[in-house]
Amino acid sequence: MRKIAIYGKGGIGKSTTTQNTVAGLAEWGKKVMVVGCDPKADSTRLLLGGLAQKTVLDTLRDEGEDVELDEILKPGYAKTKCVESGGPEPGVGCAGRGIITSINMLEQLGAYTPDLDYTFYDVLGDVVCGGFAMPIRDGKAEEIYIVVSGEMMAMYAANNICKGIVKFAQSGKVRLGGLICNSRKCDNEKELIEALAEKLGTQMIHFVPRDNVVQHAELNRKTVIEYAPEAAQADEYRTLARKIDANKMFVIPTPLTMEDLEDLLVKYGLAA
Amino acid sequence: MDLLDDRKRQVVTAGETRAVVCDRPSVAGSVTQRACSFCGSRVVLYPIADALHLVHGPVGCAAYTWDIRGAQSSGPQLHRLSFNTDIREEEVIFGGEKKLARALRELVAIHKPKGAFVYATCLTGVIGDDVEAVCRMATAELGIPVIPVQSEGFKGTKKDGYSAACRALDQLIGTGPTEGIGPHSVNILGDFNIAGEIWVIKGYLERMGVEVVATMTGDGRVDTIRRAHGAKLNIVQCAGSMTSVAKLMKEKYGVPYVQVSFFGLEDCADALYQIAKHFGDPEMLRRTKEIVKAETEAVLPELARIRKDLEGKKAALYVGGAFKAFSLVKALRQIGMQVAMAGTQTGGPADYEHLKELCDADTILADDSNPLEMASWLALRDVDLFIGGVKERPVAFKLGIGFCDHNHERKIGLAGFEGCAAFAREVHATVTSPVWSLVPRRAGKGSA
Repeated sequence: MRKIAIYGKGGIGKSTTTQNTVAGLAEWGKKVMVVGCDPKADSTRLLLGGLAQKTVLDTLRDEGEDVELDEILKPGYAKTKCVESGGPEPGVGCAGRGIITSINMLEQLGAYTPDLDYTFYDVLGDVVCGGFAMPIRDGKAEEIYIVVSGEMMAMYAANNICKGIVKFAQSGKVRLGGLICNSRKCDNEKELIEALAEKLGTQMIHFVPRDNVVQHAELNRKTVIEYAPEAAQADEYRTLARKIDANKMFVIPTPLTMEDLEDLLVKYGLAA
Repeated sequence: MDLLDDRKRQVVTAGETRAVVCDRPSVAGSVTQRACSFCGSRVVLYPIADALHLVHGPVGCAAYTWDIRGAQSSGPQLHRLSFNTDIREEEVIFGGEKKLARALRELVAIHKPKGAFVYATCLTGVIGDDVEAVCRMATAELGIPVIPVQSEGFKGTKKDGYSAACRALDQLIGTGPTEGIGPHSVNILGDFNIAGEIWVIKGYLERMGVEVVATMTGDGRVDTIRRAHGAKLNIVQCAGSMTSVAKLMKEKYGVPYVQVSFFGLEDCADALYQIAKHFGDPEMLRRTKEIVKAETEAVLPELARIRKDLEGKKAALYVGGAFKAFSLVKALRQIGMQVAMAGTQTGGPADYEHLKELCDADTILADDSNPLEMASWLALRDVDLFIGGVKERPVAFKLGIGFCDHNHERKIGLAGFEGCAAFAREVHATVTSPVWSLVPRRAGKGSA
């Protein structure tokens, strides 16, 4: 089983990209589990056709330790398995500890069955504290993809996440698999992200163009692959899925200094 | 003695010119005798007998500080119960504020306390529970003062916990009526009524004609603390824990303070005279002289008898605050004993300078300490007695040295004139016990 974690700046499109990629893999016959690691619990909405999921932590709170796996593991599009960690309301408690508890719970309950080809962790925004790094601790996700765009703050977040990966890579097996560019139609965006990838020692594994069909699919609580299978955008996600499946490039990234990052932006973005 | 490098500057002999480095966090790995700041706040506030003391954190924090001192109460015993929100994994994730609010409602309904203290612990500090907001809400809803104690254990040393407790007291002081408080009135600060000591001190003060408004915190009550700002003088005994409340009250309410000690004949007499002189009433001074004379005469013959047996014997002491150390050095000298080592958990630079003046040139002075250091000094100086608290006791007993408890858990009052006699009796019984001739370090040497 390949265990993959998707990181990236908040609002960059991690959950949309993850679910569409998972749909691409599942449609192709791969067995995939998605673990949402965001207290908002919206990482599996498109695969399940809505927020039908009771989270691991809510279940744990309501039922105590006697949790059954099928209470928290819901079947989604094309036999995907969907789990949401859940967590506290905004502004209280410790969401990071929630992720740790939730992933431990999934392990105890035997959610990671040998028939799975993939587990995807969709993790909230930045790696703000130890808990949000849980999915990349030793023995958890070993491959990371960072969703990024040509916007400065998204690149800055990607670079920061790479610093986190370096730390865990030194003590474990986690490696960076590449950057996924989720286009915001910035100037020279493709070149910019390719250059960033090169500086980080990795690759831009795919450039996902911006297309309104994604928005339409979301409003219908579906992935593009399910909502508009013939659309060109659906093929983009299928291509991304196949590239990830075929990926052999796993590196310990080399994060940039703030100055290097700004120079890059000036060179490709502003100077265009 | 091989000291850890980082500890070397905190230990001197009294005759040396270099100062004791102090007022710093304990060195990691040195197994300090100090407690955490949460524990510091607990020991200070715990004796307030009609308050609810609620520990907001894991059950261990409450269990390990349950009934932590032998603080006596003349009335309510609510302080002796330890209440706890029992924070577990679920509250860590989802937040513990609701559980805290629920606990307060439930406990106030059952026990009807005059006030409540809510202690923040490491865990609730880390997850960011807004203890202050919950306390504000509970104060409004429940009609009693609910005071947050910001005493997260990781925040510093035990002394930082004292400060947190003092800030909590500051929220209570000044909220009650001051009518009927006379001109010769005091608060007693920093006595915790161990074995009823505050009653002994109160007895002297009453005979002098001094009115005691509030006692902080021994045999303390929420309502008297609320009106403490009406007293005309603060008497501070435990300097480490309560000087900051005295300073605050001087700033805010203009109440002056004197630092005293009621341990030892000399200090006890001096304390009473200082108070009498402050009020400047010749009649009171006359009464005070009578009290000192009568009380001293009552115990001196016994002290003289005891002194004969103890002359030349050596003691070591390790206590919380420096004022207790000063008093003990003097009290031991009165019964003929030398002090080979004196250490404190919370002494400040001026305290150690004063201790240097009080002690012999070869007395070892230590700020903070650990069992290994203390054991080596006790053995090196071949002392006959070690005075300390619960964490020092095993150090003495492992070495086969007599031990006297002068801390939280003791059952014998050692304050006041009669306390001096009790102290002397206890030291005498311990040091002259025939058992020490049988312990390995003395066996066959005939020196007991």
